[in-house]
Formats: sequence, C-alpha cells, structure tokens
Amino acid sequence: MKISYNWLKSYIPQIPDPKELERVLTFHVTEIESLDKLGTGVNEDWVFDLKILPDRAGDLLCHLGVARELSGLLGLSFTDPTPQYKIPESHPTKLEIDIQTNKCRRYMGRIIRNVTVGPSPEWVVTHLASIGQRSINNIVDASNLVMFNCGQPTHAFDLKKLASEKIIIKEADTEIDFPVVGSENIVAKVKPGDIVIADTDNILALAGIKGGTNSGINIDAPYTTDILLEVANFDPTTVRKTGQRLSLLSDARKRFENSVPVELAEYAMREFSALILEMCPDAVFEDLIDSFGSVIPDSDPESSKKQVSFTTDIISEHLGVTLTPADIATILQNYKYSYAEENGNFIVHIPYYRQDIQGIHDMVEEIGRVYGYDRITPTLPLFQSGSTHDETYLKIQAVKKDLMQKGYSEVMNYTFTKKGEVQVARGPKGKEFLRTNLTDGMRESFEKNKLNAPLLGLLDVQLFEIGTIFKKDKEEIHVALANKKGIEEMTLIEYFIKNNMSVMPDSIRHPENFSLDSGSGSGMTQFVMWSPYPSITRDVSFWSDAELTEENFVSIVGSSLGSLSIRTPYMIDQFQKDGRHSYAFRFVFQSYEKTLTDSDVEGEWLKILDVLKKEGFEIR
Amino acid sequence: MELKKGTLHPLTLVTDEIVGILSCMGFVVATGPELEDEWHNFDALNVPKDHPARDMQDTFWLKPSQSDGSPDQASLDVGIKNSGRKVLRTHTSPVQIRYMQKHTPPYAIIVPGKVFRNESTDAGHEMQFHQLEGLMLGKDISVAHLKGVLLEFFKQFLGPDADIRMRPSFFPFVEPGFEVDVFHNGKWFEVLGAGMVHPQVLKNAGVDSNVWQGFAFGFGLDRLMMIKTGIPDVRLSYLGDLRLNQF
Repeated sequence: MKISYNWLKSYIPQIPDPKELERVLTFHVTEIESLDKLGTGVNEDWVFDLKILPDRAGDLLCHLGVARELSGLLGLSFTDPTPQYKIPESHPTKLEIDIQTNKCRRYMGRIIRNVTVGPSPEWVVTHLASIGQRSINNIVDASNLVMFNCGQPTHAFDLKKLASEKIIIKEADTEIDFPVVGSENIVAKVKPGDIVIADTDNILALAGIKGGTNSGINIDAPYTTDILLEVANFDPTTVRKTGQRLSLLSDARKRFENSVPVELAEYAMREFSALILEMCPDAVFEDLIDSFGSVIPDSDPESSKKQVSFTTDIISEHLGVTLTPADIATILQNYKYSYAEENGNFIVHIPYYRQDIQGIHDMVEEIGRVYGYDRITPTLPLFQSGSTHDETYLKIQAVKKDLMQKGYSEVMNYTFTKKGEVQVARGPKGKEFLRTNLTDGMRESFEKNKLNAPLLGLLDVQLFEIGTIFKKDKEEIHVALANKKGIEEMTLIEYFIKNNMSVMPDSIRHPENFSLDSGSGSGMTQFVMWSPYPSITRDVSFWSDAELTEENFVSIVGSSLGSLSIRTPYMIDQFQKDGRHSYAFRFVFQSYEKTLTDSDVEGEWLKILDVLKKEGFEIR
Repeated sequence: MELKKGTLHPLTLVTDEIVGILSCMGFVVATGPELEDEWHNFDALNVPKDHPARDMQDTFWLKPSQSDGSPDQASLDVGIKNSGRKVLRTHTSPVQIRYMQKHTPPYAIIVPGKVFRNESTDAGHEMQFHQLEGLMLGKDISVAHLKGVLLEFFKQFLGPDADIRMRPSFFPFVEPGFEVDVFHNGKWFEVLGAGMVHPQVLKNAGVDSNVWQGFAFGFGLDRLMMIKTGIPDVRLSYLGDLRLNQF
C-alpha cells in the first residue's frame, strides 16, 4: 500500500523525517517494501510502500489510518481536516434505497445535480500521483481520494443512466453476463449469491468490487450532469468469494474483504460531498439517505462497546519484561484509547476502527510493539523435557549414517512426477502427480552423476535417497539405493530390519547421536558453483617401487597442477606384481569459460608427467 | 583400495547441525505427514476458509475427486479433525497441532520436514523445500524466551558475531507475530517468522490457554543452508546432482 509522506504530514505536522519514519514503521508497525523519493525541491515527496497484512488491513489501508497509528505510536498531535470541510447546502430528495440482502451492512446514497465533469485540480492530481494513481476526472478522482484517504471505498453513478431514482441492493438471482469498467473489457459472469447494485431494470455494479460500463461517469459528450454518490459496506466473505471466482481485483475489494467498519461511512460521505462541492461549486446537493436511518452507529471511540480487560502482570509475563501500570497507561493515552485502571487492572475500550483487537493476546502485541521488541532482554528458558525424539526421524538418521559408511552418497529428488496415483490441481506443468516410488528419480539421477563421476572423484557412483512416496491411500517413507548393479528400493522399516539396525531411544541432548560427520574433515566451508562446461580426464598408470597412498601422491603432484585441474587426482586402480606396485590415477580438467580441447590441457598434462618421471615412477 | 565414505546432502548436514543445537536446548524432534488435511494445515491454525489470510500461502490442493468424502465445510466449521480437502502441507506448523493433541505441556519440539508451495520458481523459490518448525509451551514461556532461544541458536549456528532483531508482523496462528532477521557477514537477512501461539490455536488443539503459553517459530532450512554455505540457488538442492555435496 503506497503512502505519501506529504499526505501524512498534513495530518501530523511534527512527523519525523522520512529515514526516521522508515525505522519507526519497520520496528513498530509493519514491513516497508520500498521507500522512494519523488520530485525535488518544494515538490519533494517520499512514497512508502507498506506491507499491510490481514490483521491491520482493516485500518491501515489509508492515510488517515496510518497517520492515526503514527500519532498514537509517537505521541504526536494529530490534525483531522474533516471538521474544516465545507458542508454543502442540502435539498429534499426522492432517492429510494431498497436493501434486499443482509450482506449489505450499510448503504448511504446522495444525489448531486448540475456537476461539471472535467479535469481535477492540480492538488488532487498530485495527491493521487504521489501514490501511483492516475487522474481520471474530478468525480472519479474524488471517489478514489476518499478511499485512499480514509479507507472507505466509494462510488459514483451517472444518475441519468438509472431507470429511476431507486437503488436496489440484492443478491443476483440469475446468471448473467455483466461488462465491468476497466482497461481489459472484462465481462463478469454474475451468479446467484453475488451481491449486486441494481436499479429497477438492470444490474449497475458488482457490489464492493467494480462498477458496470452501463452506469459510470461519462467524460465525453453526452457529459454526465447528475450523479449518485454511493458510500456503502458489504459482507467481507461474499465480496471475497465473488472477487476470487471472477478473478477481479480492485482497491475497493481489497478493503471490503478485510472488513471496513460500518462506522466509517459517515466520515467518508462528508469528505466525498465536500470534495465534489470544492470542484463543482455550482452543484446542487440533495439530502443523503442512510440505510441506518436515525440509528447512526456511534463512532466516538470513547463509547465503544468492545472492551478488553487485562492486568499489567499478564502483559509483562507474555512479553517477558516487567512493565508498570504507568508504562501501559502512557501507551493507551497516546493512542487516545478510553480506559479504566485500578491496581494494574485495565479495562480498555477498543475503538471501532481496530476490528483486529479481540482479546488479551492482541493487547500484548499492541503494548509490546510500541514498547519496542528491542527492549526485551533475550533470556534462555530453563527447559527440561521428558520426551524422546520421534522414532521415524531417528531411524532416518541411522540409515543415512549407515549408507554413508557403505559408500553411498545422498541426493534429493522431486516429489512431483509425470505419472502416479495421487494428483494435484494446478501442479507444475506436466508433473501433476506425486511420486509412487523413488526409483524413477534415482534412475535419472544415477545417469547424470555417472557422467560427472570424474569430477566427483568417483570410480563408481553409488547413490541413495530417503523420501516419501504417495500411494492412492497413504504415504510411506522409502529408501532407494543405486549403483552400477541397479536400483533397490524398500520401505524405511524394511531397510532397518534387513540390516539389523536399532535406534537409541531417549537420545535427547546427545549430539553424537546426530553426528553425521561425513568424515571429509571440513566443517562447513563455502560452496563453489560448478562449471557448466564438460570436463576432460587423463589417466596415468605407472610402476612404483615404494607403496603409495592417494594422499602421498597428491602431495607429490600438488604443486605441478595448473589452473585447469579442477580437482585433486584420485586413484582408480592398484595391484602388486613381482614385488612392485602398480598404480593408476585419474586427473580431471575443466574450465569455467569454455569447453576444453585436448590441446588446451596438453601443456599442463606434460608438466604433470614430467614431475612423475622425476619422482622415479615408471610410466606405462 | 579402501572404501570411500559417501557424502551427504548439504541440507541434511545443516538440518543435522540445527537439530543438534536445538536438542541441546531442550527441543525434541516430532514429524508428521507431507499430505495433510485442510483442518490441520489451515483451520486448526486459525486460517479460515474465504479469508485473506489464506492468500499468504500458495497451496497445492489435491484434485477434488481424490479427497476423503466431500469438501465438507460443515465438519470444518465445527472443527472436526481430519476434515476438509487433502493438501500438500504448505508449512510444518500442522505438526504442532498433531503434537499438542497428543501430549500435555510443558514441551518443546522441532519439526524438520518437506513442504510445498504453488509459486513460480527462481533462485530463491522452489515448489518443494524444507522448513523447521519450533514450538515451546510452558507455564510462563514468553517473548523474552523466544528471543533467548533464537539468539543462542544463531550464535551457535552462524558464529558469535551473529545477532537478531524482531519486527512486528502477522501470521494467523500467533499473536504477537514477528519477523526475525539475523545479522551475519555484515548483512541482515530475513530468516524466520515467529510469535506467541494464538489462544485459538491452543484451544483447537485441546490446550488450555489460561494455563499454558509459549512461542512458535518457523524457518526455511534451504534458506539457512544457503546463508551458511553460500549455495546460490535453492533449485540446486533438488536436481539429484552430487556436485552439490561439497561438505
């Protein structure tokens, strides 16, 4: 959600500078996806892209909400411009609102006649541009401005396109194709259950999501002159379901599906009206109709019906810090929450715009994030658990160790395959099934690794995998081994029994039971990406009078290895005859830049042979 | 010629080291199925159907004809376990629920396991990867303890210069919720989500939230492996290529 620094500043004159604001938001409110500077000099602004998650989508998807949060967080004075709006003179109306579904939680409608549709004033264009929104025309812009300002989505219909001055809100009763506004010329397939705004003849809009092309404001002749403002509230689940099914995204939908508080409509209608008045001073306003009639919900935070009770101790215990009642009281006062406190026992009235605060756990977060998580001292818990590790896990570790000792190396393959007994919906292209065996994956893997055997310093490739396979009605953990003789697969239990293995129960805090030290001697060092180019191998066989280990050999030739030697040489054969030792070693060459040719390695190869001759080996 | 020992997948070595460190701190390993049911993967964890919170994870649902019985919203509504559609688990968190249903606190568990997300793949994202879940419940387990455990863990895993910082965030199954970053080699890395287990989740699993409280955390094992070893691309893990086994 894009938020303009200057826009926030109009609410909070003492707002910290952008960098400090970035820090404050990140560590006390929410993650910032990006922060960009816009314009220069007197036109300079900063745009924060805030990652607003579902819990705060009810109040922070607008500048007013973010400003209010910051004012509470930092204890800064907050100036709400609404009382300064001009209230238009209002005339009697014949507008009728007929709500036929309880999925519409509130509907406010207002007719305005004699508007002049045209370009918006500069300040409106700038405001919208600062958050990446295009200016369309003064009426549509006003509608968007209200939404980005206070979080209440609004809409404007061309009144003359309505069959009569009667608006009906209902659930669609038949399937019907409905073209909606937008650059992609989408025709929505409306189904029964979708909430729609309609006149006596036709559907005019998909409630809370998008207006129809049949009812929107005209920017060309014939120009719209009379409009109907809509500030309404719809059931979050229904809006989301309809929007999901039709794959229709909109800023309005995003807010409604996270639940807009019904109390917000009044404020928004006042703002919407004032904006239209400013841009169309000759417009004639009629009285607004509110489905709530005379029973307007009280948006005064002081008289909120929702309360949460908690003690200072409970908050302290959950956070692991010692707070005083005064610590908590200060926070509540800064946020202007109405509360009562006695001996550390608090009762807090939750304002209507914080639908996410339901209980003590939510207040732990409210207090904790303001207090600052950095101020909580890390403490190790004294924990003695009597439990034992899961046996399956211990078995897997034991088998991995066993196979490693026997010379097998581990691979991990994909669960998704071309064929199987269990299928996923919308899986990876061409691989929509879950594997029924490990063998198929192992076969591919084996061939691949055989080609790379020289690079790996292996004469024979031996692989294993331990993983889950999926049969029609169950999943099983299997072990698969592959070597030049073929591939063997069995269940984990079968391997265990076949090899007379056992696990130590009760192996908590015994790191050696987990030690899978691969014996290579290296602790984790850094990974080196392999070259995409093929390698060349050269083998040398020779007689040696003395016995020779691979280690000896490597230290003898080490210094003569050139830059194209991609690994240390390794032994591929040895035997004794008539008291003499015969050895064969393999050298591997590879470049990171290209495919090597024989002539590329010749120079280095001759150098190596030279060193061997000087050492006294009789090369065959 | 002597038999050469084989090599293990770096993910196994990293997981092994992590499990070792955490088990010394009191955590025991628990495991669960890769193919879960909707209730364990979502509803029990306070992620109801038709709620924006479900958008936070891209899911592999099984094709409808293969579910056990009907989609069964009614069963989900009243919290009947093993209900709803089958799904490849999107996180290891369902095992928390399974463990809580069968054991009485206090306990601390870790759950290493394979998880599945229906996302486009790139160097940082794969459709299958591994996570490790942690859960500690007791009479007075707090955010301070969560910080303590994580800081000590990272100092052992990445080195004494490692540091952590916590930022407010949201996951439906915890409240408060945090993102935790770790400082390593001069940079901050986002590595895990955490929080205090949500009372509704405790209730769903049959734990009395008036008596027990505690934290949960989850991180990507592949990500920690990449941070520690410098392996640049998560997809390399699942190619079945032994050139990966460099340790």
